[in-house]
Amino acid sequence: MAHARLVTIALLVLVAGCATVASPPTGESPAKAAPPIAKAPAKPTAPPPATAKQQSIASRVAPPAPPLNLATLVERLKGTNAIGVLTKITLKNQVDDLLEDFRAYYSGTIRTPLAELRRSYDMLVLKVLSLLQDSDPSLAAAVAASRDAIWGILSDPAKFAAI
Amino acid sequence: MKMRIAGAAIAILLTTGIAAPAQAADDAAVRKDLFTVITLQGLPCGEVVSVTTKAENDHIASCKDGNRYHVFLNAAGRVVVEKQ
Repeated sequence: MAHARLVTIALLVLVAGCATVASPPTGESPAKAAPPIAKAPAKPTAPPPATAKQQSIASRVAPPAPPLNLATLVERLKGTNAIGVLTKITLKNQVDDLLEDFRAYYSGTIRTPLAELRRSYDMLVLKVLSLLQDSDPSLAAAVAASRDAIWGILSDPAKFAAI
Repeated sequence: MKMRIAGAAIAILLTTGIAAPAQAADDAAVRKDLFTVITLQGLPCGEVVSVTTKAENDHIASCKDGNRYHVFLNAAGRVVVEKQ
């Protein structure tokens, strides 16, 4: 009888534990699930709504973060759980395509202006930021902080050749 | 005998209680991954509502708007999205 009671109690505890594990099925970010208390201190320093609307995605997700070098950035992007495997491969395909465009640009085989390549680069960075900003805000901030440094490499033929 | 039945019940409950949520989380992650891939290719979807997995990195995704896509990794290492 005592065994049966113990088993019942253990069962209830385990089922309750499972219910807790199953509760976030949508993969909602911890930031979204944070209690209102966590947001309260930020309110006094928040910019007025008109200013906030003008901010880019990058500036919204970017608390001060030092720019990362390319190798570190690639490693962190590979390791993040914020993006699925197929999404990572798709992004890598698009990065490879952009690098191929730069190679063609520097070799003179295409006449695409640099401004066009810059637009493609900016779009790609925005895609990455939008994928990261909710689930891995620190990496999103690092990407945003590295944006100009990476462009500096891509837009410099000597630095690009060394990649 | 009752103890055996209780043991079997516990085993079943533990299996379904732990494995089912894990499976659901995996499915949700795959659906999210496929939806992101489809939209990154600029194709309409809305939301991936069901997935049929044919092999590793080879799926058929059904979207809420009625579109169906074959999403797979080809031999060249590129993710391909083909409308069905």
